[in-house]
Amino acid sequence: MELSQLIQNLMNGLAIGSVYAIFALGYTLVFSILGIINFAHGAVFTLGAYFTYTLVVGQFENNGLLKGINLFPDGSPFSGNPWLFALATLIGAAVAGLVAVLIERLAFRPMRSRGGDPLLALVSSLGVALVVVNLIQLLVGAEIYNFPSDAYGQVRPALSFHIGEKVVIIRTVQLIIFAVSLVMLALLGYVIGRTRVGKALRAVAENPGTASLLGISVDRFILITFFLSGFLGGLAGTLVGTAFGVAGPYFGVSYGLKGLAVIVLGGLGSIPGAVVGGLVIGLAEAFVPAQYSAYKDAVAFALLFVILLVRPQGLLGRAQIQKV
Amino acid sequence: MALLEIENLSVNYGGVQAVRGLSLKVEEGEVVTLIGANGAGKTTTLRAVSRMLRPREGRIVFAGRDITRVAPDEAVRLGVAQSPEGRQVLARQSIQDNLELGAYTRRDMGEVRADIGRMYGRFPRLGERRNQLAGTLSGGEQQMLAIARALMSRPRLLLLDEPSLGLAPIIVREIFDIIGELNAGGTTILLVEQNARLAMQRSHRTYVLEAGQLTLEGDSARLVNDERVLHAYLGG
Repeated sequence: MELSQLIQNLMNGLAIGSVYAIFALGYTLVFSILGIINFAHGAVFTLGAYFTYTLVVGQFENNGLLKGINLFPDGSPFSGNPWLFALATLIGAAVAGLVAVLIERLAFRPMRSRGGDPLLALVSSLGVALVVVNLIQLLVGAEIYNFPSDAYGQVRPALSFHIGEKVVIIRTVQLIIFAVSLVMLALLGYVIGRTRVGKALRAVAENPGTASLLGISVDRFILITFFLSGFLGGLAGTLVGTAFGVAGPYFGVSYGLKGLAVIVLGGLGSIPGAVVGGLVIGLAEAFVPAQYSAYKDAVAFALLFVILLVRPQGLLGRAQIQKV
Repeated sequence: MALLEIENLSVNYGGVQAVRGLSLKVEEGEVVTLIGANGAGKTTTLRAVSRMLRPREGRIVFAGRDITRVAPDEAVRLGVAQSPEGRQVLARQSIQDNLELGAYTRRDMGEVRADIGRMYGRFPRLGERRNQLAGTLSGGEQQMLAIARALMSRPRLLLLDEPSLGLAPIIVREIFDIIGELNAGGTTILLVEQNARLAMQRSHRTYVLEAGQLTLEGDSARLVNDERVLHAYLGG
């Protein structure tokens, strides 16, 4: 492989891998607190993208019940400037976070408070995901909605530079995705590792009973966790939607599965594991030659399979220690 | 008025009625011991007071306030702290972080730091290891951490569940010396203990539980010589 191709693939892989990482962290947060996978996380990812699209464009002109409704007849206040677009993205992510909180209330807490098997919550979250997907289809149809290119104003679409004779092209949106993801990871690492809230969150994750004895409201921290998880999921949705279009109600399904691969690869419940897992899978996909790109997912899951054969606890997972 | 008053408490735990119609009092400044065989309902009683278990019947009044239905974190805010059975330190966090989390309900950060300093003064081995993960401590050190952590909320009532469990005799003595010092410093303590003799020697009053019901109560100094207690719990 030539150097230029190598760098191009690396850039592509890091950009998509960092989105996988922040998306998968949403799974990890909920898993580390409740010990279960929130199967509605992919749907929250989809919603994040649709929320941002709603703010930036204001209408869904192709299909669905909302066709013909225009929120902003005089043009969206969030369009035409990269900072306004960023603001819309954050609001979209925050609303996605609130949806995740709602999902906890509707699909997880009722099962938990009745002492139900954790597997039940898994199934009910799967149900929520289906409802969300169908609701999106009902409201705005199954068409792909692309963010108009002027939505974020006059930004250069790509940077290109030469390596020898060859040209490497990096889309601006890829750089932004990478930068935003890194900032989110650093922020999350700081909050969880250093702050009072983060320490309390880890206490709830390690031992909810002890956390309550210390005066930490476990229920409140579960809500905070779902909000953070939904925020990360919704943010990832907008980032991917900006790069490749908001690809219909099933937009989040394949990302949802990919995210599962990421956390299993990195080690269930491990935050650094989700980051490493995301980057590894993103890079692996980027190095799949273009003519075989239809097999990207197969490559990701084959990699998962091989790594789990060698390290069943995942790359950075803790080996299970039975305490007597 | 007593600091803690339990009236006619019944609690179900694991499908059985673990505590039935229990009434007891802890006066401000006392050390009160609960003894009884395994499964007599001692831990269940403590967990009802710290609000980790929901009573089926009865009332728990703390400092004149009915806390029977408050949330566990509210109980901590009101001044009840528990050092749980099996110590339950947060193994994956440092000693310092465990202590900081013990003060989670407090907002006076300067005083919290000062209190952590005092804990290191009282428990020098915790101070030496402040940045180590709590999971790396020995059993006795973990017990000290669990007590120190409970004290960090500046409780009016300290609930100690089996502080001597699994510890070497010399460490057990040390833990009980600490309990004595804490009480001398003004902390009211409700103690559940397998080591009945030691617990009775170091407490003002004792309640004896059997199958979830109170069978005996009185001054520890008197009960420690009681035929029935001697026979059942002190191997006499």
